[in-house]
Amino acid sequence: MSEPLLKVENLKTQFFTEEGTVRAVDGVNFEVNEGELVGLVGESGAGKSVAAQSIMRLVEEPGRIVDGTVTFDGKKLVDIVETPDGRMEESDEMLSNREMREQVRGREIAIVFQDPMESLNPVFKVGAQLREFIELNRGVSESEAKTIAVDMLREVGIPEPEARYDDYPHEFSGGMRQRVLIAMALACEPRLIIADEPTTALDVTVEGQILDLVSDLQDRYDTAFLWVTHDMGVVAEICDRVNVMYLGEVVEEAEVDDLFHDTKHPYTEALLRSMPRPDRSVGSLDPIKGVMPEAINPPSGCRFHTRCPEAREACKEFHPEYHDVSDAGGAPHSVSCIKYESVGYEHSDPLETEATGAFAGGLADMRGDDSQEAAGVSGGEVDE
Amino acid sequence: MATTTGSDTDSRTENESQPVESDPEQPAANVGWRYTVSQVRRDPTALAGLGIITIAMVVAAVAFLDQVVLPVFGIEQYAIAQAVWMSPNAEVAPQLLPPAWTTNVFGEGTWVHPLGTDDRGRDILARVFYGTRIAMSVGVIATTIALVFGMLVGSVAGYYGGRIDDVLMRAVETLYAIPFLVLVIVFMVAFGRNLTFAMIGVGIANIPTFARLIRSRVLSVREEDYIEAARAAGVRDRNIIFRHVIPNSFAPVLVQATLQIGVAILIVAGLSFLGFGAQPPTPSWGQMLSQSRDYMLPDPWFSIWPGLAILITVVGFNLLGDGLRDALDPRINN
Amino acid sequence: MGRAQYTIRRILQAIPVLLGVVTITYFLMEAMPGDPVSIMLGPSPSAQQAAAIRAKYGLDQPVWLRYLNYLWDVVQLDLGTSLYYEVPVTQKILERLPVTVLLLVSSFTFAIVTSIPLGIISAQRRNKPTDHIARVVALLGVSTPSFWIGLVLIIVFAYQVSWFPATNLVLPWASPAEVGVDSQFDVLVTSLHHLVLPTVSLGTLQMAALTRIERSSMLEVLGEEYVKLARAYGVKETTILRKHAFRNAQLPLITLLGLQLTSAIGGAVLTETVFSINGMGTLIITAINNQDFALVVGTTLVLGLVFVVGVILTDLSYAYIDPRVTFEDAD
Repeated sequence: MSEPLLKVENLKTQFFTEEGTVRAVDGVNFEVNEGELVGLVGESGAGKSVAAQSIMRLVEEPGRIVDGTVTFDGKKLVDIVETPDGRMEESDEMLSNREMREQVRGREIAIVFQDPMESLNPVFKVGAQLREFIELNRGVSESEAKTIAVDMLREVGIPEPEARYDDYPHEFSGGMRQRVLIAMALACEPRLIIADEPTTALDVTVEGQILDLVSDLQDRYDTAFLWVTHDMGVVAEICDRVNVMYLGEVVEEAEVDDLFHDTKHPYTEALLRSMPRPDRSVGSLDPIKGVMPEAINPPSGCRFHTRCPEAREACKEFHPEYHDVSDAGGAPHSVSCIKYESVGYEHSDPLETEATGAFAGGLADMRGDDSQEAAGVSGGEVDE
Repeated sequence: MATTTGSDTDSRTENESQPVESDPEQPAANVGWRYTVSQVRRDPTALAGLGIITIAMVVAAVAFLDQVVLPVFGIEQYAIAQAVWMSPNAEVAPQLLPPAWTTNVFGEGTWVHPLGTDDRGRDILARVFYGTRIAMSVGVIATTIALVFGMLVGSVAGYYGGRIDDVLMRAVETLYAIPFLVLVIVFMVAFGRNLTFAMIGVGIANIPTFARLIRSRVLSVREEDYIEAARAAGVRDRNIIFRHVIPNSFAPVLVQATLQIGVAILIVAGLSFLGFGAQPPTPSWGQMLSQSRDYMLPDPWFSIWPGLAILITVVGFNLLGDGLRDALDPRINN
Repeated sequence: MGRAQYTIRRILQAIPVLLGVVTITYFLMEAMPGDPVSIMLGPSPSAQQAAAIRAKYGLDQPVWLRYLNYLWDVVQLDLGTSLYYEVPVTQKILERLPVTVLLLVSSFTFAIVTSIPLGIISAQRRNKPTDHIARVVALLGVSTPSFWIGLVLIIVFAYQVSWFPATNLVLPWASPAEVGVDSQFDVLVTSLHHLVLPTVSLGTLQMAALTRIERSSMLEVLGEEYVKLARAYGVKETTILRKHAFRNAQLPLITLLGLQLTSAIGGAVLTETVFSINGMGTLIITAINNQDFALVVGTTLVLGLVFVVGVILTDLSYAYIDPRVTFEDAD
C-alpha cells in the first residue's frame, strides 16, 4: 500500500486550565488514505474534535499541541520532537503558521464544522463568502470564482443557485446551510475534507440527505474524508474505515464491516449494544454504565476499566498498547486492550465495578434516565 | 439544562444551586451566593471596588448620623465633626486657601485645612467628607426605586407580552426620550427643589434601564422548561413571576444595579452643579464644583477635590460591577 | 427592499413617543407652583391687569383645554411665545438648536473615531500592557463627571496655558463679520478652535463606554465559529479582523450609541453650562429658572425630537449592517 495521505502519530493536545491540564488528545494514531472515508467516532469529550482541529493546527488558547507528528502528503503539519534536554519543541521541518495558512488550510485540507448556523457570517451574502474562499485557495479571478461557486451550489443540490448566491445565511434552512458548507469545502478542491460532526445539529431526515450527498460527491471527486461523529449509525452508512476513540486515545481501528461484525474492543461492543438498531427491539438496549471521566485525571491503566464489563484487576495496572490484531492476509485491524496482550489478563480477578455487574443488578434499572444520558451515544443525540 | 423544580414548593433553595448554563448571551441564571462571593474574592479589582464602596458607606453613615440623626435627639448638627475636626459649615478660615503644600494669591496652605478652604472659608476636606452622604444616599435610594419599579414593569411586560407589553414598553420609551437631566429638573421644579425629590426624580429617570433589562431576561427565561412545568402544574402567574422568573433574572440585575448606582451619583452631581440638588449650606460635591467655577483661575485646586471624590466613588461601583459581571458570566472567564 | 418602509415605520412609531414627551412635560410644568402672572407683572398686580394677562395667554381656561390648544398649535408648528425672552419660542429654538447639534455631532464623532481603534487594539493585545492601560483609561472615562472634565480642561488648557478658549461655540457657517475675522476660512478655524474643549469634555464619557463595548464585542466576535472557519480556510489574520470580524463587532456599539443619546443630551446641558455656550441646554435651564412655561415645553419637545431622530438614525445603521433586521420585525 502506498503512503497514506494523512498520517497521525502519537498526537497529544492538552488544555492548560485553572482546574488542571486537560489531556484531551493523549497519544493518538490513525491514517487516512487517498479517496478514503475514515470515521473518527466516540462519545462527547473523547477528544475527537480536538484531534481533528489539531491536524489543521486550529487549536486555540488555552490549548496546545504538545507532542506528535502529523504528516500530510509528505509535509509535516505537526512535528514535535524532544530536545536533548528533555523539552518538547517544534522541529524545523514543521510548517510555519504562514505556510500552514497559504499551503494547507483550505487548499489541501478543508474543514466542515458542526453548526451550520454559526459557521456562516450573518452579515455577508452566502455567495460572497463562498467566492472569497474559492478565490483564495484556487488562485482564480473573482468572476471565475463566482462561476465555480454557483456550480458547486448546484452540485450540492441547492435549487436556483444563481439566485441563492445573493442570499444571506439566515435565508437558508439548516440543511441547506450545511450543504453550502460542504460546497465550500469541495469547491476548494482539497485532497482531504475534515467533517467535524456535520450532521449532529440537523434532524434525521435532513441528515440522511446530507449523507447521501456526501457519498455521491465522494465517488465523483474522490476526496478523502475524515468524518468525526458520535453516531454509529452514520459510521455504518458511509465510512470505509473507522477509528474509535475513548478519553483521548484510539482504542480500536478497523474497516467498517469488521468493526461491526468482528468487534474486538469491549468499548466498541458496548457502543454497539447501546445503540438502537432496526433489527433489534428496544428491550435489548444496553446503555454503557457510568459516565466518561474527565480528561484531566484519566483512570490508571486502561482508561476504560471503570466502565468495562470485562474489566479485571490487571486492567487497572497495565496501560494497553495499540497494536495490530488482524488475521494474516486480512484487512488491518488494531486495538488497544490488554485482552489481546500477554500481561496476565486471563489470570487476573474480575474488577468490581458497576459495569461488571458485581453490584446488585437492580442498580442499572434504578438509574434509568441517567444511564441513558451517560451513554451519550445514540442515533443523533446532541451533546456539548 | 435547568434544574427542574417541579411544582411551587418552598423547598427550592436557590443558594445551594450549581452554576447553570443558560442563554449564552446573558449571565448564568441560577447562580448561588457562595459561588459569586468566591469568584469576587479572587478578583483584586473587584475587591478594590468593594473597599472603596465600603469606605464611602461608612463615611456616609457617619455623616448621616451627624447631620440628620443628632438633631432629632436635640444635639447640635455636626457635633461629631466639631469634636473630631471641624464643622463643614464653619466659616472660620481665610477664604480660598490652597491645599497644605502650596501657596496662592489668597495665602499659604496649612495642614489645619489640608485640602484648602472654599470661598466662604469652610474647610474643603470636611465638606468633601460630608458630601459623600448626599452622593451615596441619592445613589442608592434612586437606584432602588428604579430597580423596584423597573422590575415590576419589565417582568409584567415580558411575561404577558402582547398588548400589555406594547403599552408598558411604549410608556417606558417615552420616559426615556426625555433627556433625563431635563426630566428630573422639571420634576423637581414642579414638586420640590430638594433632596427627596431629587432621589425620586433620578429614580424615575432610571426606570427604563431596569425595565428593559428585566423584560429581555424574562423573555428568555419564560421559554425555559421549568416555567412550562410550573404552569402545567397549575401555578398562578403571579407566583411564577415572583418565585421563579424574578430570582432567575437576578444576576444581570445585580450587575446593573451596582453600575447604576455609579450612574446615579454622576447624575446627582450634575444636578447639584446646576443648582438642583441638596440645598446650601448642606455640602454636596456637585454644588461645590459649581461654586468653584468662579474661582477657577486664582484657586484651581478648589475645583479638583470634589471632582476627584466623585471619580473615586464611581470608580468603586464600576469596579465592583465589572467584577460581578465577570463572576456571573461563565463565558468571559475562559 | 424594506429600508424605506422600515424608516417610515420607525418614524410613525416615534409620534406617540413625542406625544408622550409633550404630555409629560406639559403636565409637569402645570404642576409647578408659582403663578406666571405674578412673574410677569410683579408681586401685586391689579385685578384688571391680571385678568388681561390671563386672557391674553389663555390662562383662564381649564387645563385640558389649554393642553389641547397647545397640541393644535404644535401641529401647526407654533410653539408659543417665550415669556422671558418675549419672542416666539420657535425663534429662540432655531437660534440655539444648531449650536447644540454641532456639539452633539462633534462629540459623538470624536467618541466613535477614537473608541473603535482603541477597542480593536485592546482586543488584539488582550491582557498585554496596552490593553490594561486602555482599560484603565476607559474605566476612568466612564466614572468621571463630564462637567468636571470640562472644568479641569479649562483650568489646564485655557487658564494655565492659553491654547484654547474657555467659552462659547462658533458656528462654522457664521459670517466673518459676526465673528470678527477676515475670511470664511478663519471662521472655520475659529469654530474648530472653540469646539475642541467642549467636545472632549462631552465626548469622553461616550468614548470610554464605546471603547469598552468595542473591546468586548471584538473579543466575542473573534471567538465565533465563522471566524474560526475563515481561519481554517486560510484567510489572513488582518483580513479576518478587518473584514470578517469588524462588521459584526460594530452591532453592539450601534445599539449602545442609541442608548447613550439621552445621557449625551443631558451631558450637553452640563457642558454648555460649563463653557457658557448658548445652546439648547442653557436655554432650557434659563427657561426653567424663570418658569417660562412655553419655552420649557417647547425646548423639551425639540430635544425629544432630536433624541428620536438620533434613535432612528442608529436603527437604520444597525439595519444597514445586519441583514437579519429588515426581515424580522424589530422589537
